[in-house]
Amino acid sequence: MPISSKEVTSLIALTSVIFFIAPLFLIIYVVQYNRKKKKHVEEKILLQKTFENELLKTQIEVQEQTLKTIAYDLHDNIGQLLSLTTITLSSVNIEDREKTANKITLADDLVKRSVKEVKALARMLHSEELVSRGIAAAIEFELEWLKRSERFVIHFDKTGHKPFNNDTAIETILFRLFQEIINNIMQHAQATEIYITLDHQEDDFRLTIRDNGIGFNVDEVMNRKMGMGLQNIVKRSAMIHGTATISSTPQGSTFIITAPQQ
Amino acid sequence: MKLATPNTAIEFVCFLAALIFLFKDKDAAWRLLIPYLFLTFAVETLGLYMRLILGVNNITVYNCFLILECLFNSYFFYSLYKHFKYSAKWLYAWLGFFAAMYLAEMMYDKYQGFVSITASVMSVVFVLAALYYYYLKLRDEHHEPLLVSPHFWWVCGTLFFYFGSTVCNLFFDYMSTQSYADNRSVRYIIFIMLNITLYSCWTFSFICRYRQRKLHHSLR
Repeated sequence: MPISSKEVTSLIALTSVIFFIAPLFLIIYVVQYNRKKKKHVEEKILLQKTFENELLKTQIEVQEQTLKTIAYDLHDNIGQLLSLTTITLSSVNIEDREKTANKITLADDLVKRSVKEVKALARMLHSEELVSRGIAAAIEFELEWLKRSERFVIHFDKTGHKPFNNDTAIETILFRLFQEIINNIMQHAQATEIYITLDHQEDDFRLTIRDNGIGFNVDEVMNRKMGMGLQNIVKRSAMIHGTATISSTPQGSTFIITAPQQ
Repeated sequence: MKLATPNTAIEFVCFLAALIFLFKDKDAAWRLLIPYLFLTFAVETLGLYMRLILGVNNITVYNCFLILECLFNSYFFYSLYKHFKYSAKWLYAWLGFFAAMYLAEMMYDKYQGFVSITASVMSVVFVLAALYYYYLKLRDEHHEPLLVSPHFWWVCGTLFFYFGSTVCNLFFDYMSTQSYADNRSVRYIIFIMLNITLYSCWTFSFICRYRQRKLHHSLR
């Protein structure tokens, strides 16, 4: 049956309408996709800002930790040395030459030790700069102080460690995680030995901290939501695209922090 | 009064909008829209004048205008792609191809008919060019608010017009053979719709362009 000219004209009109409407859907799709892109860009900026805020917070916490160490050291160490020096010097009797000489030698020794301690403290004040020399150097320096307390036997192994490529932000966060874990061990673990290892798992940096303390219930502590606890360790590890694995038994606890290293 | 049709009216309005909003534009492609739209309006009026007043065939006018239309739209698309480091060799290749096809069709029709095949191919190429622009926009990591983007609205208008006119172009020969009264209304209504959409989108794009330029100046 031949198609009439009217039918063809109607067909042309209908097809034209369809051809006219089709780009509309395409344009709506492009606009919608663009909106999603905008949302994605905003989320990316927010994430970057959150990271920067957290980094700033971390830097402040590292500084606070340094100041705390300095305060303890001034009070417990240098303060004691100087008090002892004062007592020694005030007990000097010039008439008794022999004892005086001994006391002056002792006072001299105490002052020299105080000077040494003050110099060490001065170095401590620049501990944040140490992070820029690398996580291994910063940890090593922190452990030196810990060793002085003689409360713990420290085992530090960094033979498998490869330095980061100038990523101070990640190293600062890692260093703060290390400080927090060590603080937790000092305060709660009742440990006598601490093992710290820096190495690699495939392409990732890995920090392992193990103690021989009394251990704790990981799930319970994780759910407690108090202060800068385990949750924060996990959160900050995730922020640097890494992981935090915490395991604990009555024979001790193990913290494994990993972070991508490019 | 016969010359005042919806098509000429919307073309004139769009030309006025271009004159007001693009006169001080620094981009040559945008500034070129002013003479281009004026010529479009002039050609449309001349076509009507020849057909309705003089009663002569106006195909030659439209054949000549097709060259201008191709040159301008191709250049404008090229100026859009330039931001995406697009090579000019494709523009020259397309223009070369168009010229060859145009001449071949003209010679085939012995300079008598409208170059409908060339116009159809040109429409398809412009549709592809518009789609390619969207593709580039989707791939572009840099976010731009599209609803106030002059480029986006220019491309939208172009896509609506050339995609919508594809069927009419394809059936141009058929419609030419039919009686004027039968197909006039359909073809006429389709083109009125397409022209209104095209020039509305373009006018809006000129306003966006103007606002963008003003905002850019005030931020300096």
